[in-house]
Amino acid sequence: MTAVFKHELKLNLKSLLIWALSVGGMGFACILLYTSMEGEMAEMADTFSNMGAFSDAFGMSTLSIATLSGFFATEVGTVHGLGSAMFAAIMATVLLSKEEEAHTGEFLYSLPLSRGKTVLAKGLSLLAELVIFTAICGALYVLGFVMLKEDIPFKETGIFLIRMLLMNVEIASLALIISACSAKNRIGLGLGMALVFYAYDLIGRVVPDMKDYLFFGPFSIANASEIFSGKEMPVPALITTAVIITISLIAAYLSYIKKDLAS
Amino acid sequence: MSEVIRIEKLTKTYGKKRGVTELDLHVNEKEIYGFIGPNGAGKSTTIRSILGFLNYDSGRIEVFGKDSIKEHTGILREIGYMPSEALFYPAMKVSEVIKFAADVRGLDCRKEADMLCERLKLDTGKRIKELSLGNRKKVSIVCAMQHKPRLFIFDEPSSGLDPLMQNTFFTLIKEYVDAGATCFLSTHVLSEVSRYCDRAAVMREGRLIKEDSVENLITSSAKNIKITMNGKSEEYIYNGDINKLIRELAEKKLDNLYIEEPSLEDMFMHFYDGEKA
Repeated sequence: MTAVFKHELKLNLKSLLIWALSVGGMGFACILLYTSMEGEMAEMADTFSNMGAFSDAFGMSTLSIATLSGFFATEVGTVHGLGSAMFAAIMATVLLSKEEEAHTGEFLYSLPLSRGKTVLAKGLSLLAELVIFTAICGALYVLGFVMLKEDIPFKETGIFLIRMLLMNVEIASLALIISACSAKNRIGLGLGMALVFYAYDLIGRVVPDMKDYLFFGPFSIANASEIFSGKEMPVPALITTAVIITISLIAAYLSYIKKDLAS
Repeated sequence: MSEVIRIEKLTKTYGKKRGVTELDLHVNEKEIYGFIGPNGAGKSTTIRSILGFLNYDSGRIEVFGKDSIKEHTGILREIGYMPSEALFYPAMKVSEVIKFAADVRGLDCRKEADMLCERLKLDTGKRIKELSLGNRKKVSIVCAMQHKPRLFIFDEPSSGLDPLMQNTFFTLIKEYVDAGATCFLSTHVLSEVSRYCDRAAVMREGRLIKEDSVENLITSSAKNIKITMNGKSEEYIYNGDINKLIRELAEKKLDNLYIEEPSLEDMFMHFYDGEKA
């Protein structure tokens, strides 16, 4: 099992680095842009915080984008949320199906490892990739704060990254079902799913009637504005996330170990 | 002689499509068993069922007396499989693929792998994406043989290999079989079966239509009949009472007559065309 875990990590190393450095790099650039935009931000902060539902949606009613924390939460929060969700969805959507699409499954599954253990090894490698992705991005964000010689909000940034990781795990778990059920790589479907979740969260925060249903969406647990403004932990959303992850992983596992592998 | 593979009443369908129907066959220890049939006859379905890639509808498969479903992983430990397409991870080096296969088995196969690479003239420093089909086949051979399995399963192994490498490949099989291994190979290259196999089974439309020693398949009562009559030639396999044949031929005004032992190719065509007709 360790061999498959390492093999999978090695195969995905390039993609992992490209995505992590791209998303983390964009966040890092956003942080560095803060000083050049600080003056303008102060002028715009009031306007942005008085745009009603849109201010709520982007967290600008509770946080001032004139502060680095507020700027980080609204800008980097969006970049990291979208970027990491897309990465998680893409990697998970092809995790199992790529073996059938590329016809490498005949080689892999003829080796003496049960299909269940192979799925487990691949799943763990994906989890490791998501952790490494988050760590690289986190390091770049901290570097951004250091370069600006600003105080680093370790607690909030840590919670933000952990919740983002959890959100990525949820999206990956759902995308894994697609991968387990398909003999072809359905990247578009996985990516679309991640974007629909983002749109759901955004609309849910703009439309007052939908607020009560926000907890269904993966993005609800990782709203940077809520984290940086010190709002309480969204317990119902976290429970929903845990339930969805569990059910998705079981569904993906069962459907994959029972399916006929395409030749 | 103990049985290495025992298949009883194996049936596998793909929705409404037929895979194999009520297949019974057995492969004995230390034999090279040819599994013959054209594309779509059910050869790959049978192999993929043995290896656990497919969930069959009914029947039973035993390998080394172990149930293929319940003891799937244990069975795979004893098998060296070479798929027909021989596809690997394109960005990996040959040496990495070979090592990966050994690592998953938890074995150090370097000595055997080096010997195989040398005999097959395989450059282990190249990446998979740089290899031709023939060279990918060689990688597949090394992965299937390096752990010295007790059973080889090859799906159309010689396609893509040049004649010299085909010879090396079958020499290797012979050596492993002499050392106690068993080989089950599917092919539609009949000369391979007649040259290397001890027994063979012929598949047609998902069913086993003949299983016997290669010697018996060729030297059965069936005869290849060539007649010339009124300037026209006709050739067919006759598999009935030879006296009746002579009586029937005596009634015709023949210009020429040949009665020969059929080749495996002739027998194969007879099973397909003759019995179908």
